[in-house]
Amino acid sequence: MATMQMDRSNLWDVSSRVIVYAAIGAALYAVTAPLSFLIPGTESVSIRPSFAFVTFFGFAFGPIVGLFTGLVGNMIGDQLSGWGLLTSWNWSVAIGLVGLLAGLTPTYLRSWMNDRGRMLAAAAIGSAVATIVGLLFVFTDIILGTTEDFNSALTVNYVPAVISDLVTVVILTPILVAAWQPVKEQLGR
Amino acid sequence: MNVTPRYLGRGSWLSRRDPRVLILAIVLFVFATVQVWDARLAVVLFAIALLYYRSARIPWRAVRFNWLYVLIFIGFIVTTNTIITGGQLRGTTGDTLHVYFNLPLFGTPVSAESVSYAVTQLLRFLSMAAIGFPVAFAVAPGDIGVAFARLRIPERFAYAVDLTFRFIPSLAADVRTTIDAQRIRGYDYEKAGRGPIGRVRRTVPILVPVAINAIVGAEDTIDAMDLRAFGTHRRTWLRALVFDRTDRLVLVGFITLFVVVTVLAFNGASRLYVLPFLIP
Repeated sequence: MATMQMDRSNLWDVSSRVIVYAAIGAALYAVTAPLSFLIPGTESVSIRPSFAFVTFFGFAFGPIVGLFTGLVGNMIGDQLSGWGLLTSWNWSVAIGLVGLLAGLTPTYLRSWMNDRGRMLAAAAIGSAVATIVGLLFVFTDIILGTTEDFNSALTVNYVPAVISDLVTVVILTPILVAAWQPVKEQLGR
Repeated sequence: MNVTPRYLGRGSWLSRRDPRVLILAIVLFVFATVQVWDARLAVVLFAIALLYYRSARIPWRAVRFNWLYVLIFIGFIVTTNTIITGGQLRGTTGDTLHVYFNLPLFGTPVSAESVSYAVTQLLRFLSMAAIGFPVAFAVAPGDIGVAFARLRIPERFAYAVDLTFRFIPSLAADVRTTIDAQRIRGYDYEKAGRGPIGRVRRTVPILVPVAINAIVGAEDTIDAMDLRAFGTHRRTWLRALVFDRTDRLVLVGFITLFVVVTVLAFNGASRLYVLPFLIP
């Protein structure tokens, strides 16, 4: 039971389906961004449930959809909040990379995901790895001067973001995949 | 929770500009600003950003919570950066700092240099936010996709951006409806307790139905696009965008600003400038 009928040959196709799912993903990410909340007892670690849409859309619909959901969704979310389309452009790229990497998971784990349990495990693990790797791009804050050195980029930006996003993606991505799977089969996709 | 695009600057001088100007202006301005650590130049950029922002005539009452969010976020970044960097600021060493006192618990020295750093960073972020607001509030939402397409960004990407803006109002309404429907069933998203994992799980009754409904509903859009042979030929856009003289002048102004700032950055503006009146 594979999540997608995608193989490596059509992974990078930009069809009408990819465009619409990408737009839906980005819009969902942007509109649910205000559902974030701070972890009690911390000042900077904010949990963003909407982040799960990046990994879910990547996992379910491929790397292009994941990239667009993260990149454009985060830019639009920032724009609607007033923070600005490009003020934290490197964070948008980082979140886009998370979606792209999550989108590669089903292709490379296809043979392993032969039952429902494994597929959900792959969704959780793939999303977690994509989050850890993709968010490494936020270290560009050092080059851009948003943070002063590696230490502050690590402790203020990367680690809190990874922890909070891991909590989100490990819980929500498999749930979304599990909810989508029967609908997908019903739709014949 | 109002997250739908609002065309608040309708009729203003900036809203009459070609939307491509606003997108290019933000790109040029942001990449100019990130090079600057000289507070004097940061003040000039901030003044330009404020003038630009005012020309969009965005009503304060409508965006005060957006500004509050921006100020809180900037305040957090500036404060944590100043504390975490521990006085290791660009171009300075511990010996050259003019220290006022050390922060209790952290031990971070608060110095003329760290205050200058914080002020410059504050100005940089405020400038970038002020330049960004008009794209959100002074561009007609229907023009966004066309503007990207006319900027020669791949047409499928431009179309996806256009679709995203079109989906936002209906999806925002779906989120509100779903929250209300779940509340009727006794669900309370804002209920405290049960820790962060419990709170994440409490978003499931909202996120799952909204996402699945959106995806199922997307099938109609996909079918409509396929029936119209989307992607078989180069896409055309009904809305024509034409740069007028003022648009060109504004664009030339921002290009000049970017070039001048880049030249200045290579000649010292990328180094931290310590405000003289802060040195004890």
